[in-house]
Amino acid sequence: MTHKTWMAVSLLVIVSLILAACQPQTIEKPVVQTVVVTAPPQVKTETKEVVVTATPKPADKVKVLRLNAGEGDIPTIDPALAVDVASVQIIDETTVGFVRQNETTGNIEKAMATSWNISPDGLVYTFHLRTDVPWVKYDAKTKQVVKIKDGDGKDRTVTAKDFEYGILRTLDKKTASEYAYVLTDVISNAAQFNSGEITDTAKVGVKAIDDATLRITFNEPVAYNLNIAGLWVAHAQPSWLIEEKKDRWTETGNQQSYGPFTLKEWIHDSSLTLVKNPFWPADIPNIPQSKIDEVTFAMLAATPAFSEFEAGNLDVAGIPLSDVDRVKADPKLSKQVENVPTMGTEFYTFNVKKAPLDDVRVRRALSYAIDRKSVIDNIVKGQGEPARWFCRPGVAACPTPDKYPNLGIKYDPAKAKSELDAYLKEKNLTADKLDLTLTYNTTEGNKKIAEAIVAMWKEVLGLNAKMTNMEWKTYLAQWTSDPNMQIMRGTWVQDYQDANNFDKVFSTGGAYADITRWSDPKYDEMCAKAAKEQDPARRIELYSQADQYLVVDQAVIAPLYWYSGLVIYQPYVKHTQSITGYDWFEKWDLAN
Amino acid sequence: MGNPPVKVNPMGRYIIRRFLWMLLVLLVVSVVTFLMEHALPGGPFDREKKVSPEIMANLNARYRLDQPLWKQYFQYVSDIMLPHITTAPPSGSVMDDTLITIQAGNLYFRWMNFGPSYKSKSRSVNDMFREQLPVSMQLGVMALLVAIVIGLPMGILAALKQNTLWDYVGMSVAILGVSVPVIVLGPLMVWILGVTLKWLPPTGWGAKPPFLLGLFPHSLTWDYWKYAIMPSFALGVGSSAIIARLTRASLLQVIREDYIRTARAKGLAERVVIVRHALKNSLIPVVTVLGPMFAALVTGTFVTELIFGIPGLGKYFVTSISNRDYTVIMGTVLLYAVFLVISNLVVDILYAYLDPRIQYK
Amino acid sequence: MAITHRARSGDAVGGSKHQRESLWTDAWRRLVRNRAAVIGMSIIVILVLTAILAPQIAPQGFADQAREDHDKVPEWATQLFPTMAGYARISDKYLLGADYAGRDLFSRMVYGTRISLAVAFVGPLISLLIGVTYGSISGFLGGQVDELMMRFVDVMYAFPGLLLIILLMFFFRSTFSNAEPGTLGYALNAMDARFGGMLFIFIGIGFTAWDGMARLTRAQVLSVREKEFIEAARTVGASDVRIMFRHILPNIVGPLVVTETLSIPGYISTEAFLSFIGLGVNPPTPSWGSMISDGAQALRSYPNQAIFPALALAITMFAFNFLGDGLRDAFDPRLRGTQ
Repeated sequence: MTHKTWMAVSLLVIVSLILAACQPQTIEKPVVQTVVVTAPPQVKTETKEVVVTATPKPADKVKVLRLNAGEGDIPTIDPALAVDVASVQIIDETTVGFVRQNETTGNIEKAMATSWNISPDGLVYTFHLRTDVPWVKYDAKTKQVVKIKDGDGKDRTVTAKDFEYGILRTLDKKTASEYAYVLTDVISNAAQFNSGEITDTAKVGVKAIDDATLRITFNEPVAYNLNIAGLWVAHAQPSWLIEEKKDRWTETGNQQSYGPFTLKEWIHDSSLTLVKNPFWPADIPNIPQSKIDEVTFAMLAATPAFSEFEAGNLDVAGIPLSDVDRVKADPKLSKQVENVPTMGTEFYTFNVKKAPLDDVRVRRALSYAIDRKSVIDNIVKGQGEPARWFCRPGVAACPTPDKYPNLGIKYDPAKAKSELDAYLKEKNLTADKLDLTLTYNTTEGNKKIAEAIVAMWKEVLGLNAKMTNMEWKTYLAQWTSDPNMQIMRGTWVQDYQDANNFDKVFSTGGAYADITRWSDPKYDEMCAKAAKEQDPARRIELYSQADQYLVVDQAVIAPLYWYSGLVIYQPYVKHTQSITGYDWFEKWDLAN
Repeated sequence: MGNPPVKVNPMGRYIIRRFLWMLLVLLVVSVVTFLMEHALPGGPFDREKKVSPEIMANLNARYRLDQPLWKQYFQYVSDIMLPHITTAPPSGSVMDDTLITIQAGNLYFRWMNFGPSYKSKSRSVNDMFREQLPVSMQLGVMALLVAIVIGLPMGILAALKQNTLWDYVGMSVAILGVSVPVIVLGPLMVWILGVTLKWLPPTGWGAKPPFLLGLFPHSLTWDYWKYAIMPSFALGVGSSAIIARLTRASLLQVIREDYIRTARAKGLAERVVIVRHALKNSLIPVVTVLGPMFAALVTGTFVTELIFGIPGLGKYFVTSISNRDYTVIMGTVLLYAVFLVISNLVVDILYAYLDPRIQYK
Repeated sequence: MAITHRARSGDAVGGSKHQRESLWTDAWRRLVRNRAAVIGMSIIVILVLTAILAPQIAPQGFADQAREDHDKVPEWATQLFPTMAGYARISDKYLLGADYAGRDLFSRMVYGTRISLAVAFVGPLISLLIGVTYGSISGFLGGQVDELMMRFVDVMYAFPGLLLIILLMFFFRSTFSNAEPGTLGYALNAMDARFGGMLFIFIGIGFTAWDGMARLTRAQVLSVREKEFIEAARTVGASDVRIMFRHILPNIVGPLVVTETLSIPGYISTEAFLSFIGLGVNPPTPSWGSMISDGAQALRSYPNQAIFPALALAITMFAFNFLGDGLRDAFDPRLRGTQ
């Protein structure tokens, strides 16, 4: 009897095991729900919070990637209003543009656009869009992602009209978008519409020909038009939802999106959680369906974030400067560290109208005297590469150190001294009498770097440079308005991946023109020529010349380092190596 | 002698008078803050990437920053003070969101709009009050409890056993508590209890909005307490030292008073002497600091929230200034002012109870 | 007995000058008999000497960097903090270790004494001067004047102190740094620079600290005002001023001084906080507050950078507190005979 029972039980166990194993891991049955969107809006009633300690089903484990977005609430996830990296990262995961940049190669790849035609004059781009991407949202009651239906009960899919609406909304002056400028610079009549000069949207160079075709007219036939067309400010936006919910359309329970992820929950100042969109088409090779179920962003400063990482509660974290030594010496942790580049440059810029910086020899001397490698090794603890020019390698059309080994500026104390001596002799001055002040905005990092570099100027050149610091906004107000500012700490992070976005900064009317007080038609021409050049290799050559002029011949800035950060990953995080500063989490996986 | 005097409770009259003064105080505070914040160089939309004048014009128009200052101020004050009744339900716009919205049928009573945030585009200052203030209050109340529970007995004991070991050890511990700043104590606790022993979560808070009755967490299980222990302690320890020291000093003084000698001479038990006579009077200086201490703790502390990643209001005190987020600056300052004025009023009322010789004319 | 005491130091009979000296020398005598207070005083004297003789005591200048020596520690530190043993680089050139830029921590602490002591002395000084005067006048006069004065304090009080300091600091730093030579703003800015950025901090702290002291003083005055010995003095014909200075003030000085010494850590942490957000001393001028802020970032990896300045702070706090206690006890007339 016992033997039989034992046989029966074990048979039962084996059968149930087989059955369990046979079940596919994650079945998400698309639950068709009628979401009545056009009903009169509900009054904000207090929803009773049911504390659900969700016990995941043992068979399918929910894969959650836990990240940190940095200190402070994410300002917005509205494509028209986003300006900072964290916001853009999230928007790029919940919505997708015509094209998308591959994070490992930097190449532009098709995304929502299956193809496009460019007119012979290079000004009119006609995009052909996919028609099978639905609008979705997360339903907290059923804990599922559901498709959005319109008033007739049909599924809403992303159309060219949604893109047209999105672009026009970004440009609309009532929206007051800060990043509209990337579009107003390039799209025909966009600037006039944004300033209110014209009010007829039909005149703006964006038109939805039909549901699957969008035509954009640009101002100039430059190579980076496509790049800009794919930026977040030009993503599709849901007009019906924005008209109903206005500013709150991106809040928990409201947000609708169409990308590989959608918003699950946003607890302000605390965390933001994305959930995988199961309706994202499975046949786009560079934007696959996500293997990870949820991505959570915490909002912690660097040190508490790293504590959470060490406690095992975060999967990816940055390493605070003071902990770098410890981590690098730890046998286990050091293997999990990677140096991740971000597309930006740190530099000191000179006010070329204020003595003694009005003489190029002084500027060059200051730049040659900086031992960038020492700053990076000792102060920034390896989080950066010594910068020899301004444009950041990795950005399209930007020269790279391996191809251009002699380009730009390097640490050369002898040259620094000779340049300065030439100046001093002519003016009959001594180095210690020169009045120089370095100003930076107050952060720990800036302070440490400034102290180190001022000490270098003293060692190599005998200069007694002073330092002042001020709070960020005060700094922004001062550096254009105060003519006495001399050496100022500057930073530039890309808006879009193209050398033009970098070098144009110092041309007449560029972002730093009022700060450097430098305007040189020769440089402007070099930049304009490079922007129009269509041959990629020739473009790089032209930008390398422009950079050499900027950094060595005229020494308008002293580049310090190109940004990269030390990031540490838990061993089970399978990720891609990004060179663009953005990650695509749908390509990641968790092996635990 | 005419009619007998109307019996109005003098204390009640006093409270009403103080209340009216509070409104005046808030008015003055609001004007000064408004002027100071606009005197700061730079604006909310300045970035290192130069914003073109057209875009700046759009931004100023949307947030009404292009109007003359006095007009902005009046608009702001009337948004807060004047309620209105409309048939229009609250739209999703952050510009006309209100703190108090009561629906009766299809009429809406809407009151107190503190304005939109300039930095967080989908939130208004009212949202921050609704969602972040309760967190700071919960943390503040717990920190104050820690401070009182630790500080008061320690101070009393030290005073009663003056110049003995109890006294020296107790006061040394108190001084230590005050002189180790949160910025050192916090990360230390996180390191030991959070990362190494893993007994408590290093960061976070155990309750999220919406809150019970707008203020309280929905459940008080271990899932809530485990987040609250370290920050309450880190925050409360410094204050407990202040309470301990003050209590000791004050009690020592009161014990020497003549009426205490009289009570002892009458033959009353020591405990009765202390509790019934000495304690009440000795608490006056202690109660004085409780008022501002409570206000400061509750409206959040920047460093604690930064270290423990707590979504409270304290962060906004500093970040709003550096962001030039004018409405948030005003909102936090006014909130703090209200807390403080009310705390002071409570303290003054307690004075009268503790020391009957203090009269309010 | 109370009456006898008062009659002795009262003003009924002549020879008041003799009595006044007796009160203060009496207090001094009692102070030096309090061992803890003497220890406190000695520590403070040592600190003051350290501050004055800093260039002689400190082995290096506070701004001397050796970038390759960043974060190095002496050998014994790895035994004191065993967690550092795996990665810390050793150098015996630095007594307590080096900071992130290779500057000697001990030298910086020695120079930092100047700033921290300045804050510790000037802060309470301003607060007591303004606050006690204001509060005692208000409490003593009472009535409408009291109400009015306290309402003004209420307004001051209602400003979150920290916020006010931050606003003030922003304001000072930005408007005055651009002032034309010859104006008041320019002069203030120049003085501030000479003090390493401290003048505006002092003004800011003083501006925000006096209201608490005023309130406390007033409360104490209110409570003491009704006491019997005050009435006794009045019946003997003492003037208001005399009553204030001879009878009321010495009795309330106790909790006031104790409160103020308790505020000292507050002032120092305010200064640390201001340094933390960039509104404090100008680098590379060291202050314990800024050293603790800097060190707290590295607490996990190099605890010595934060612990030693924090220890210095704690010792200073002990010293001020014991001294404060001693002062209170020394000034309390009713403690006569109990020491």
